[in-house]
Amino acid sequence: MKRNKKHFEITPKYILLFLTILCVVLMVLSLFFEGMFLSVRNLTNSFIEPMQKGVNGVGRWFENKAEALENYETLEAENEALREQLELYQTQITNYQLDSYELERLRNLYELDAQYSDYPKTAARVIAKDTGNWFDVFYIDKGTKDGLQNGLNVLYGNGLCGIITETGEDYAKVRAIIDDTSNVNAMVLPSEAICNVSGSLTNYTDGYLIAENIDKDADIEEGDEVVTSYVSNKYLSGLLVGYVSRMEYDSNNLTKTAYITPAADFSNIQEVLVITQEKKTITE
Amino acid sequence: MKRVITLGILIIICFVLQTALFPFIEIADVTPNLLLILTVSFGLMRGRREGMLVGFFCGFLYDVYFGYTIGFYMLIYMLIGYCNGFFHRLYLVEDVLLPIIIILLDDFVLNFATYVIFFMMRNRIELGNYMRQIMIPDMIYTALLTLFIFKLLVLINRTLKRWEKGSE
Repeated sequence: MKRNKKHFEITPKYILLFLTILCVVLMVLSLFFEGMFLSVRNLTNSFIEPMQKGVNGVGRWFENKAEALENYETLEAENEALREQLELYQTQITNYQLDSYELERLRNLYELDAQYSDYPKTAARVIAKDTGNWFDVFYIDKGTKDGLQNGLNVLYGNGLCGIITETGEDYAKVRAIIDDTSNVNAMVLPSEAICNVSGSLTNYTDGYLIAENIDKDADIEEGDEVVTSYVSNKYLSGLLVGYVSRMEYDSNNLTKTAYITPAADFSNIQEVLVITQEKKTITE
Repeated sequence: MKRVITLGILIIICFVLQTALFPFIEIADVTPNLLLILTVSFGLMRGRREGMLVGFFCGFLYDVYFGYTIGFYMLIYMLIGYCNGFFHRLYLVEDVLLPIIIILLDDFVLNFATYVIFFMMRNRIELGNYMRQIMIPDMIYTALLTLFIFKLLVLINRTLKRWEKGSE
């Protein structure tokens, strides 16, 4: 053997074998002990997150500039059209105002529960997104420090966006409702038919969520609102999920499936609202 | 040592870019896979050992952040890096076609493995749809990006080599 001590190296084959075993062990460990690697993530996150925030700022800046350039001409045309519409709407507003006074009066009469605008909320910024194309998971820049915890609901725009699945000191991982593994127990208004809204990768590229297991006889029409149901044990009730856009009868002839256009626009999420109230505390 | 530090920094830069910047430049809901490009490039330029280790740490970062089970992507990226090491012998600096073909293959393997483990196992069997909507756009986009990134990595590798020669 002429091996010089300085150049002594283990053959890649053995390193591969060793690392493969390590991977398999880790996989098994992470399957059985969830949260075991939280501390690892906290550690790596503490120096990666600032970078992500910085790069994010750059990306946002570029995007804004690109959009501004792209849209200049269309904006002008749009502006004109909008002005015309505005006049039309102003007259309508006065009508609606009258209606809303009436609505308020009626609501008080019925002692309707407060809408979800009354839930305590906190705003957070999206800092990183899974770009594996297969899943819809993203990170926001608030964590346990700001009072967030697992299972809190996240809103974007005027609809439900996702749920927090993991929290660290100053970050939280959110799984969007369009993720393929997501399931939301919801109901269709006004018929109050219970259904299960599941994210589906193939359907989302067409812009739909899928609501399954709706009773065949439920009276549902296109355009009906879908909100989270009171049965769900993870989502607060009454959060808007989307609108029914078409329906199909299932082959079992007992249930039907509805295609739902989500209320939140998932293509470009930047700031989200987190409801800092858990479902449990409400049912208590 | 310099090589280890440079590679570490490269991996982190790629990861940060991919998670924080690339969501802004996605085309047709698909973003290219920078970590894969890095793994493949070093496997190709430097052989099995380095490809394997780069892949291992790329997969590690990805798993820690987005993995459902820690270890799965680690394993896949590592195997991809290792297998690319076998093409090291065929590699010529000027050749662009080989890396492109290899990255197309690797990207397919990566996506297909993800599909089988996380989707087919949950009874989502419309492979054709997934191919059309995710795998093929992803492959094309990643391959296009490789054209540019690969040149850059070749440059970095060359500089590293020069350093190492100088220090010996």
